[in-house]
Amino acid sequence: MARWLSFLAQVAAFASLAWANSSTGDSVLVVLEKELQREQFSTFFNGLEERGYQLTFREPKAKSPAVSDADIPQFSHVILFSPTTKSYADDITPQSLVSLLASNVNIIFTLSPTQTPISSLASEFSLILPPPHTPLLSHFPPRDTPPTTIPISISANAPFVTPGTSPILFSGVPHALSTNPLVVPFVHAPPESFAAESESDGGADAVVDAAEKGGEGLWAGSSMGVITGFQTKGGGRAMWVGGVDVFSDDFAQSEVEKGVKSGNAQFSQDIAAWTFQETGVLRIDNTTHHKVGEVSSPETYTVNDRIVYTTHISKYDPTSSKWVPYSGLTDLQLEFTMLDPHIRTALKPLAGVPGAYQLTFRAPDRHGVFKFVIDYKRKGWSHLSSAITVPVVPPRHDGYPRFLSAAWPYYAGAMSTSVGFVLFSALWLAGDVRDGKKAKGKGKAE
Amino acid sequence: MAGPKGTSVSSQQKGKAGSSSVPAIQAAVDSLWKSYNDTTSPRLKLIDAFLVFIMLTGAAQFLYCILVTNYPFNAFLAGFASSIGQFVLTASLRSQVNPENREQFKDVSPERAFADFAFGSIVLHFFVFNFLG
Repeated sequence: MARWLSFLAQVAAFASLAWANSSTGDSVLVVLEKELQREQFSTFFNGLEERGYQLTFREPKAKSPAVSDADIPQFSHVILFSPTTKSYADDITPQSLVSLLASNVNIIFTLSPTQTPISSLASEFSLILPPPHTPLLSHFPPRDTPPTTIPISISANAPFVTPGTSPILFSGVPHALSTNPLVVPFVHAPPESFAAESESDGGADAVVDAAEKGGEGLWAGSSMGVITGFQTKGGGRAMWVGGVDVFSDDFAQSEVEKGVKSGNAQFSQDIAAWTFQETGVLRIDNTTHHKVGEVSSPETYTVNDRIVYTTHISKYDPTSSKWVPYSGLTDLQLEFTMLDPHIRTALKPLAGVPGAYQLTFRAPDRHGVFKFVIDYKRKGWSHLSSAITVPVVPPRHDGYPRFLSAAWPYYAGAMSTSVGFVLFSALWLAGDVRDGKKAKGKGKAE
Repeated sequence: MAGPKGTSVSSQQKGKAGSSSVPAIQAAVDSLWKSYNDTTSPRLKLIDAFLVFIMLTGAAQFLYCILVTNYPFNAFLAGFASSIGQFVLTASLRSQVNPENREQFKDVSPERAFADFAFGSIVLHFFVFNFLG
């Protein structure tokens, strides 16, 4: 009964992603090498097709369908299930794959212990691979499967993975992660795993020596990544998977422990969703700026103006294939920059308007050409960037205050002198007239 | 006639109690004030009152500039120059109008003096308000 319920729960979770669409397109090119069959990955591919993707299959050496034609990408997404292929057709080279990523095409790469041109491309993504023919081995937990098939539990803070996914089965190579901020780790190797020659622990001595040397050349532990995403600056996302078996039907239907089915089916759909830009995709809809009390943007601002800056941000909702206003960004920042950010402050969500973020601030006391800059980069989310150039001019000759409050004693002094002069003149002339009348009176009397 | 004697007697009586310097100064100031009051005509007293007023306003502006701020310096110059200039014009009016100076200013009648004073003051105030900002 419990098994039935868990099975139903898995189906329900699976069905919740039953229809999900990418924000960049539906066409997927799957480069499948000859040694692998499409039927081996039917769960994964059928899951993708159910979610609305159009899959096109080809072999690595086939010339058509080409990945890009005259520098225009022909597909929105590429899946490279060719971990042991050493030579490709002309259109698939490491350079062409990188230029595809720069054109907002998303790619899933798979690796294997064999050294291929793709494994040398991994170093461009700051992923350092172990020496060739050293897959990931783990003798824990004790199990019937060979040491190269490792159950790895998905940690709770793996980004964009359905919470509560069962542990997945993994078989392949690990890689060392660097501190590149564009790297988005999804799954780390288990702490008790190590990379060595797989034939019956023949390489164990090398591992022990490396450990005693202080870690030089030691490929072990959970600081290694096993499935790692990469968000490129051009927008395209890459997913580096240490082994293609993660997507296989065998692993999807095996049990990790008694009675618990592996989470490979759900997990592979989740990472495909992230890579194909369904989840974690943001964009800026529009941006406005104006003075407080006005509505339209002026040509120039004056020094010390109060400026209102508003931006609208949407998140892509894969279930409805729509961009939905999103007010959930808590750490969005606005910079008001001229060579250096003169102002860098939080852009808070505007209450009452979904997706709007607003800030009212005072332009700095410098004149010049400033930019409103939004530069939002968070692990796992697409990058937001916006720069609006705006001139800030000093006040015009009549833009200064007319009377200075510091000068009022002088205004009072000058005014009082003038008023005093007028009063004095009036009194003096009045005195003159009175004296004149007296003199006339005296003269008449005499 | 009885006045001066009475004051000298009273001041001598006061002098017996304490030192004689303070009442002497007091007596000098009093007699100065009294002789000023008696000898100057009301017209000249009017001019003197105006002069004192101008002096006070000028001193007030100067103290403000030194103690608080000289920030709008042009305003300080304008206000202070207004006081100084008006003082100079009024003092020269007093000199020319004073009957005791008749021999010095034979060819300047009091009316002519006042007209000069008024014209000079108006020009001064024009410049002052222009410079005041």
